[in-house]
Amino acid sequence: MRDEQDKLLDRLLLTARAIKPDTAACEENFETRLMARIEERRNSRALWTFWTWRLVPLFSLIVIIVGIGNIVIDPDRSNDLNALSTSGYEDNLTTTLLGGG
Amino acid sequence: MDVINNGPADDRLIEDIIAGNDAAFVQLVRRYKHKVIALSARFARDADDLDDICQDVFIKVYEHLGKFRHDAPFEHWLARITIRTCYDALRRRQKENRNVPLDDLHYQIADDTGGTDLAAEQARDLLEKGLARLRPDERLVITLLELEEKPIREIAALTGWSEANVKVRGFRARQRLKRILERDHER
Repeated sequence: MRDEQDKLLDRLLLTARAIKPDTAACEENFETRLMARIEERRNSRALWTFWTWRLVPLFSLIVIIVGIGNIVIDPDRSNDLNALSTSGYEDNLTTTLLGGG
Repeated sequence: MDVINNGPADDRLIEDIIAGNDAAFVQLVRRYKHKVIALSARFARDADDLDDICQDVFIKVYEHLGKFRHDAPFEHWLARITIRTCYDALRRRQKENRNVPLDDLHYQIADDTGGTDLAAEQARDLLEKGLARLRPDERLVITLLELEEKPIREIAALTGWSEANVKVRGFRARQRLKRILERDHER
């Protein structure tokens, strides 16, 4: 049985090997289609790059406005990062002690 | 293998392409398209799939030509890209084919026998349907080994697998293909 299957497979492979796929249709004007696709990719990439650079000043302006706004709204903020992280801790502690929790 | 060798050498064309000369790229494509298309046709499902695979191959070449190291012929580098792209196409297709009965798989790549040999065509279709059921790596190896008749060493170089690995995968692919055909025959 195994031998039969091997022979069958060998015959199939031999036949398939002898048949060369017809690629004439694909080869015809292949480079024209390819260059059109490359051009399309190039244009879409150029558009992306164009908009990225156009939007850089806008995003920079937003960052500057947010920065200035921060300084104007809270001019007396502490530079102590430790104080920032423990902000509200003392109030919580007092509430817990007085509340008996 | 009809590679057009007229005109400047590959290295010269590559330099021109990197410098932005599209005409040089067209010349390079004309030189190697037959080889790429003929190899990819062994893996493509139909004419559109074949066109997509081959375009992907040359787009990769175009976009990564700067990485070509010139330590081996351009043709070898191109063959590796072709195999890699075909392998990716097989992997993408794997899920689609997993649950489809053999009889429902259609292959429409024409052959150049003019369709006169019906038995040969049936044999080819049967084999194609069996190959479609293999895992992508198995199909790749058995196609290169049995249909393209490439030596183990060359397949190892093309795929990046070790020679022992290619042999093992080739053996397993053959066993699995036999089982698939056997099951199909019993139905």
